[in-house]
Amino acid sequence: MSRTDALQGSLDLLVLKILSRRGPLHGYAIMTAIEEISSDVLRVEEGSLYPALHRMEETGLVRAKWVEKESGRRARSYELTAQGRKQLESEEARWVAVTGAVQRVLRLA
Amino acid sequence: MRSLLRQLFYLGRRGRFDAELDKEVEFHIQTRAEELQEAGLTPAAALAQARREFGSGARMREESRAAWQWRWVEDLFADLRYAARSLRRNPGFAITAIACLTLGIGANTTMFSITKEVLFSRPSVRAPETMVHMEIGGNSHAPIREFRFLRDSHFFEALAGENEEQEVNWRHAGATERLHGVRVSDNFFAVTGIPVALGRPIQAGEETAAVLSHDLWERRMGADPAVVGGTMVLDGRVYTIAGVLPRDHRTLLGFGFAPDLYLTVPGEGGLLALFARLPDGMTRHVAIEKLRAACAALDRAYPDPDHKWVENIRVSAVAGVARVRGDEKVMVVAAFFGVLMVVVGLVLGIACANVASLLLARASSRSQELAIRLSIGAGRGRLVRQLLAESLLLALAGMAGGLGVNVALTAFLSRIRLPLPLPFQFLIEPDWTLLAYAGAVALGTCLVAGLLPAIQSVRSALQAALSRHEPRSRTRLRNALVAGQLAVSTVLLCAGLLFLRNLMQSYRMSPGFDVAQTMWSQMRVVPEAYKEPAKLRALAEAGLERVRGLPGVESAALARVVPLNINLRMGVSVRTDVSGRPVHIQYNLNYVTPDYFRTMGIPLVRGREFLAADRAGAPAVVIVNETVARALFGQTDPIGHYIRFDWGPSQVVGVARNSKYFTLGEESAMAIYEPYSRMSEHRADVQFLIRSKGRPEGLTAAVNAALGRLDPTAALETKPMSQALVFALLPSRFGGAVLGSMGLLGLGLASIGLYGVLLYSVSRRTREIGVRVAIGASPRNVLWLVLRHSFGLVGVGLAIGIALGVLAVKPLALFLIPEVNASGAGNFLVVGASMCAIALLATLSPVVRALRVDPVAALRQE
Repeated sequence: MSRTDALQGSLDLLVLKILSRRGPLHGYAIMTAIEEISSDVLRVEEGSLYPALHRMEETGLVRAKWVEKESGRRARSYELTAQGRKQLESEEARWVAVTGAVQRVLRLA
Repeated sequence: MRSLLRQLFYLGRRGRFDAELDKEVEFHIQTRAEELQEAGLTPAAALAQARREFGSGARMREESRAAWQWRWVEDLFADLRYAARSLRRNPGFAITAIACLTLGIGANTTMFSITKEVLFSRPSVRAPETMVHMEIGGNSHAPIREFRFLRDSHFFEALAGENEEQEVNWRHAGATERLHGVRVSDNFFAVTGIPVALGRPIQAGEETAAVLSHDLWERRMGADPAVVGGTMVLDGRVYTIAGVLPRDHRTLLGFGFAPDLYLTVPGEGGLLALFARLPDGMTRHVAIEKLRAACAALDRAYPDPDHKWVENIRVSAVAGVARVRGDEKVMVVAAFFGVLMVVVGLVLGIACANVASLLLARASSRSQELAIRLSIGAGRGRLVRQLLAESLLLALAGMAGGLGVNVALTAFLSRIRLPLPLPFQFLIEPDWTLLAYAGAVALGTCLVAGLLPAIQSVRSALQAALSRHEPRSRTRLRNALVAGQLAVSTVLLCAGLLFLRNLMQSYRMSPGFDVAQTMWSQMRVVPEAYKEPAKLRALAEAGLERVRGLPGVESAALARVVPLNINLRMGVSVRTDVSGRPVHIQYNLNYVTPDYFRTMGIPLVRGREFLAADRAGAPAVVIVNETVARALFGQTDPIGHYIRFDWGPSQVVGVARNSKYFTLGEESAMAIYEPYSRMSEHRADVQFLIRSKGRPEGLTAAVNAALGRLDPTAALETKPMSQALVFALLPSRFGGAVLGSMGLLGLGLASIGLYGVLLYSVSRRTREIGVRVAIGASPRNVLWLVLRHSFGLVGVGLAIGIALGVLAVKPLALFLIPEVNASGAGNFLVVGASMCAIALLATLSPVVRALRVDPVAALRQE
């Protein structure tokens, strides 16, 4: 079974949520966070994560900068912007509405 | 908006972006590898697995990049680079296409520059939009007294006057030269704000000051800055040279009028055209009302029962489109230039068609490449855009070349002084409007020449690659292009040939008087020194005596009007003693001395020349031309009869052969001659006409010496009649030159197109020719086959072209002399024959090449 199908294009929403809860993170950390919290049900493809991050950066939902890690290496860390926060709210509300509707149909159809 | 800025920002740092993305990816892989190491793998295995898990970076990199890119700009640059590479690989094609476009765009932009300068030139005044030209009382100029009244009554904030048809005699270094000047009121420069390059403008209160044109200062004073502040003798008075105008000075009159100098008005006499500066916001309607009030006051101050200044008032703009629209004479000139623009537009159209067929031919050779790209998923629109990038590159190169041609041509034109009675000089300078126009033309060219071939090639790429056979639709398009080109160049050639014939005819044509042995000497005296007409008459007669006495002179005479340069037209109602009915006639009037007809070589079919006895006080006599004789007297011999004018009867003593009086194009105009001594006009110039025994050039010096000694302050200009006629021939010369060269240009371009297309189509048929030869066709059969195809094409193009040409030349007949028949079949035959000849030449080379092909090689060729 392809686990990535489960994400259904809601990658952006998950990334924004994680950044809002856990503060600035780099790409790898975001990926592991999603997998951890969902108990490996959701697995993010690197090939879709970075394009998504760059897309969100271009539209202004997140802000990126290079930080020095203890190991001496430099990582690109992403942070939520005010516009991103607003987008997160609306996306989350939409998601809840849609899934609620799907559940109702499944239950009562 | 902000994302736009970000995208622009990204464009600049693309290289760095890629490097940073790589680092980001590297960090990700390293972190994962560390995790795996902690889980127990060796460093090398951990790294390898981490990389494997990450997967192919290429797609991810591209998608990340895509989030930042301004897609179509990036694509455009990539396409242009690709196009540049492929053009470099096909230099022959590129050079041909760029050459065609250079010629087309160059001709087009040059005509644009000329039209803009002639019709829309901006006078060198401050804020020309607020200046207006005012005409009162139906006159173009007002007397000085009236001008001063209007100026001092301050109806308008600032009112200045100028008179542009002034000539002055300039005496320097013992010789006298005639200059063309503009007389201006002393506040003219202050009101108009015309800048000077050296010195200062004419100031209020000055009575004898002059400002020189840059050209005069350069040509005749050696560009010496020391002359500013010095003096010059003009018409016998000493004028201060106040300043020198800049080189790019443009007058209020416009149209390239380039006077030699501006000078003050002398004393009380004279007329001035009125120019006013309107205060901000005042419209022309309000200005007209104010002017009306001002003229009413003027009429009250200087009442005149015959003439009211308040009638027939006109206020017109001084620059730009408003000026063109306001004046019918200018509209005619504008129409003429409109025709020229259409003509060069057609030439450009031919160039575009050329390039289009070249592109089509090239696309065929790339059909395989296009097919592959289509099959791996490239969008059709994307491919069309790429092909368009190629034509954009060609168009840009053509634009650069065309602008170069433009600048060179207009610089050359700006140096020529047109041979007209008034000094005109084009001052064409390239500016941003030219660039904008050239850019628009180039873009249009790119689309016109490139779009259809691009769409066609992509549409048929798959099909073409599979079947190796050119799709019929593309062949049809290309054939249509060639036929269209031929048609348009046929039309151009018809018009061009017509004008060239007109030109040649007008050289050969006799204007009715002798041009080979006659000379014209024009003397202008200082008006103040000759206030009584008797003094000038005495001078003229003395001059005539002297000239007649020179060796090599057969005869000499005086005339008020020299034909084909200016004319005096009269329109009156007359009666004759043969029939009492009043007849309205319009005729050319001239005052001539005895010996005029002998000097000019105009035969008198009946009667005699004027005699010395036919002067003022004696009974009035006239000589008429054949047209007048026929109109007034029919078949009767007019000699001895009388024509009754409003001012009294005149006896007809001679009938002269018809000749041309004002233009070469006129037909059977009327003319009446009166004795010179009866002329009552007060003039400052005398026209001597001289017939030489041999060549007239040899007499110039002698005539100048003889007449010059009469009055050293008078300006003298002597030239053979053939030179004097340049002005009369100017329109047909200009038209012949422009249209003839356009016709040839169009023909040249079409020939290139025809050659290219035929070459290509024959080469596509090499295989077929090989098969035919292999199964036994003779070279003649093959030749016939190919010729049939190309002549079919040429035939269609010619037929359309000649049909259009017949329609197109009809309106051109207006510009031609009557001896040249616009719709004559001969013209079209010549054009048809030359097109066929070119087609033959264009076909022969590829055919010969095809015949030489080895049939076996042709069969194998793909």
